[in-house]
Amino acid sequence: MSSFHLMLPEYLVVGFVLLALLGNMLVGNRFRLASWLGLIGLLSSFVASASIWSHSLQPQVMISGGVVVDNYSLLVNLFVLLAGIGAILLGWGERRWGQEFPVLTMISVLGMMILGLAGNTIVLFLGIEVLSLPLYILSASEHTTAGGEAGLKYLLLGAFSSGILLFGLALLYGALGSLSFIRFASLANTTSPLLWAGFTLTLAGIFFKLGIVPFHMWVPDVYEGSPSAVTQLMAFGTKVGAAAILLRFLDWGFYLSPQWWGPALGYLAVLTMIVGNLLALPQTDLKRLLGYSGIGHAGFLLVGVATHNLDGARAMLFYLLPYGFAVLGAFAVLILVAGNQDTVTISDLKGLAGRRPLMAAFFIIVMLSFAGIPLTGGFVGKFYLLQAALFANQPGLAIGLVVGTLLGLGAYLRPVQALFSVADESRATPVWTVSGAVVLIVAVIGTIGLGVYPTPVVHLVNQSANFFWLH
Amino acid sequence: MLVVWLLAVALAGSLITLFMPQQSAKVAAGIIGAIIIGVYVALLMHPGQGVNVRWIPAWGIRFHLGSDGLSLFLLGLTVVMTEIAILASKAEWGRTYYFWILFLEFGSLGLFSALDLFLFYIFWEVVLIPIFFLLTSWSGPKGRRAAMKWLIMNLFGSLFMLIGIVAVAVIHTQPAGPLTFEISQLVNIHMDARVTPWVFAAFFLAFAIKAPLWPFHGWMPDAYGEAPAPVTGLLAGVMSKAGIYGFLRIMLPLFFPEFVQYQTGLLILAVIGLVYGAFMALRQTDMKMVTAYASLSHLGMIALGIFSLTRVGILGATFQMVAHGLMVGGLFIILGLLEQRTGSRDIAAMHGLNASAPRMAAYFLFFALATLGLPGLPGFVGEYLIIQGLVAHEVVFAVIAVIVLVMAAWYMLRVFQGIMQGPDKGQKILDLKAGQVWWIVPLAGLVLLLGVWPNGITAHAVPSLYHAVHLLAAKGGGV
Repeated sequence: MSSFHLMLPEYLVVGFVLLALLGNMLVGNRFRLASWLGLIGLLSSFVASASIWSHSLQPQVMISGGVVVDNYSLLVNLFVLLAGIGAILLGWGERRWGQEFPVLTMISVLGMMILGLAGNTIVLFLGIEVLSLPLYILSASEHTTAGGEAGLKYLLLGAFSSGILLFGLALLYGALGSLSFIRFASLANTTSPLLWAGFTLTLAGIFFKLGIVPFHMWVPDVYEGSPSAVTQLMAFGTKVGAAAILLRFLDWGFYLSPQWWGPALGYLAVLTMIVGNLLALPQTDLKRLLGYSGIGHAGFLLVGVATHNLDGARAMLFYLLPYGFAVLGAFAVLILVAGNQDTVTISDLKGLAGRRPLMAAFFIIVMLSFAGIPLTGGFVGKFYLLQAALFANQPGLAIGLVVGTLLGLGAYLRPVQALFSVADESRATPVWTVSGAVVLIVAVIGTIGLGVYPTPVVHLVNQSANFFWLH
Repeated sequence: MLVVWLLAVALAGSLITLFMPQQSAKVAAGIIGAIIIGVYVALLMHPGQGVNVRWIPAWGIRFHLGSDGLSLFLLGLTVVMTEIAILASKAEWGRTYYFWILFLEFGSLGLFSALDLFLFYIFWEVVLIPIFFLLTSWSGPKGRRAAMKWLIMNLFGSLFMLIGIVAVAVIHTQPAGPLTFEISQLVNIHMDARVTPWVFAAFFLAFAIKAPLWPFHGWMPDAYGEAPAPVTGLLAGVMSKAGIYGFLRIMLPLFFPEFVQYQTGLLILAVIGLVYGAFMALRQTDMKMVTAYASLSHLGMIALGIFSLTRVGILGATFQMVAHGLMVGGLFIILGLLEQRTGSRDIAAMHGLNASAPRMAAYFLFFALATLGLPGLPGFVGEYLIIQGLVAHEVVFAVIAVIVLVMAAWYMLRVFQGIMQGPDKGQKILDLKAGQVWWIVPLAGLVLLLGVWPNGITAHAVPSLYHAVHLLAAKGGGV
């Protein structure tokens, strides 16, 4: 397969970004046109990624080790494109954000895709920046105080973390004399302070994007202030991108020396699961709640990395999908309930079970998936992570995972119980929109499907994270 | 294959109910419940092999359902009690209520027929969800808190059991074995002595919370008190058996040496529950709570039978599970009807009701006598077998159990006397309606049948228990 063909998903996104920009120039400010172009671009890229994925695909290293196209990167493509398509559909009716919204979403998704196939530190940084810059703008696109605050906070902290990341990458280059992850493994056999510092700072930069405690402070405020569609992209897409590069960086670059980072990651994972879910408990704003829940789920993802075995890598990759479906579903309901409001609190959900039973039922299903109840994908994901932790002989991680799940339970059940309260008569009944319904139905079918018959996805994930040097 | 049909009809039925008009949901649910009973009768005639197909091959998980002497009658208990609960519910509770009841039936049937640990766990948690929503929406003023408590306490145990399940499967793969969750294969594992107590505790906690056994019954008073009577009947009649069933199905084969090792401690735990439940039942003023604590005490008795680790004791526990389910479920439903008519659950507020409601008094007395273990009724058979199992080696516990039996007569008859007998102060209530007699009679008949013909169950239960006991012998445990 030619390198052009292998990179087709990325080229398609770039092409449609240019097309959308050109369209805006030629025919004027057309939000609907840009949205359609964004949707078609991401969908075609999704189809292209899926068609390249195959059992027999060997990892293709291109551009002097900078880009690695393999089943892993293609699966990451599928996940982030799902997030991107979801974001465009959820923002379908929001003309006030302007035609930049679909374009910036596409660029951000491109950054996530780059993170999936990065093979050296330059492409890593490129991916992080391409992902982040559009999100800085998008998070401030709501012209409210909270929106401005979210954008500014995200920009300042994001720029700071990018600086740390860049500094770490520079130190790594100084210590090892190479940029490529695959070369790191053979070079990183001595522990020089320079290497250690570079490694730590790089991880800190990635953890910031992933929202790992103690780099999580920005998450709730930014989630709360950003438009919901953008928050969905951050909660799902950014997490996929950051988790993908973290796994690639550690499992390709430093797989020979897990004793450095394995225990540290394990402690951070437990800390993140417990702190994230604990802080989610008292939240009343639904977006903040989902923000903290996102932190908790980042901790679950980190379990898969910390176990440092093949099961862990696969479990992490698997977990991203049910998590993503649940995020899509939760934000779809949130947007439908919000109507013209900026925020949705738990009390806004009151009486939804009586007024919109189907919407309430879907919301219950995604919340149960977040909580990890069987017959939803969330349970199967947690089960896989638990297997990985015990196969790695790390019961501490398993117990942390269970404690985190229990704490999260309270947070996810309160909104569910609110659905059955007496409705506030002053609030209008939520109205279904086509795009919202499409996202919600896909999310619910995905959630139930993964919970009842996960076999195909397990197979897909196992084929995609097939790093033979792990065991 | 009939087991699969049982589950499929329950699941499909629950979904059909969801799309019925509100008023006719009860009728639809009643018909679906009757169809499920029909399928169950067919299963009773042709027990068959069940089903065993690959589900998630990458993890060695199989969709394995089956029924044997241990589970067959619990499946029967589930289908009968669900139908009674449906008939005892109010039509105006709407289709969602009946959806959750039938979904609960689906989960319970799966729980009692799953032979793969992963599948068992799925159903184990699935049954929590309907109860959570039933408590949230169709219950008393403190129902939401009860629902939260129910789910979080139960999941607390369950999630640690999940670690235990995965740990057992992982240990089975070492040094060389396939990854499997099949219970019949996992019994061959050799666990490290440092790991075993933890895994044992993880399973024990989950089962003890679900049953509940003392001191893990924290959720019980709230949930039993707040739930509508038919749901309480299902909770006490069917759900509480899930925990006991877990001991028999999973823990005995897997951990028999540990049971022998911890036997004294476990017996003490069970006997404290037995005595504690009886004393608490004596001092309640709320008739529903008397029955709730009586049920806790009975579960302590059933646990004693299991922990006696004798064949006859375990057989008694197996029999008593089914008998207790029918008796206590019936009792809760009668109390629910009484509460509907009087608007109160306070024993002191009611006097001499048998004057105006003689039929209701008769059925109340029947179920009360059955639970307190009157000879001729099934409670006696189960308790006799359990005490016989205890007498052989643990005579102290047998003596305590007999003393508690006397107390059981005291607390049950105290309620009956308080409500039904005594001076007639002019309180008038409606007696049982013809439509209600129509389903109480079969339930009472079933109880009577079990009382005079316990062999109907024990003859079937014995072979499958021998199977378990053979496993135990292979693991070095004497019986």
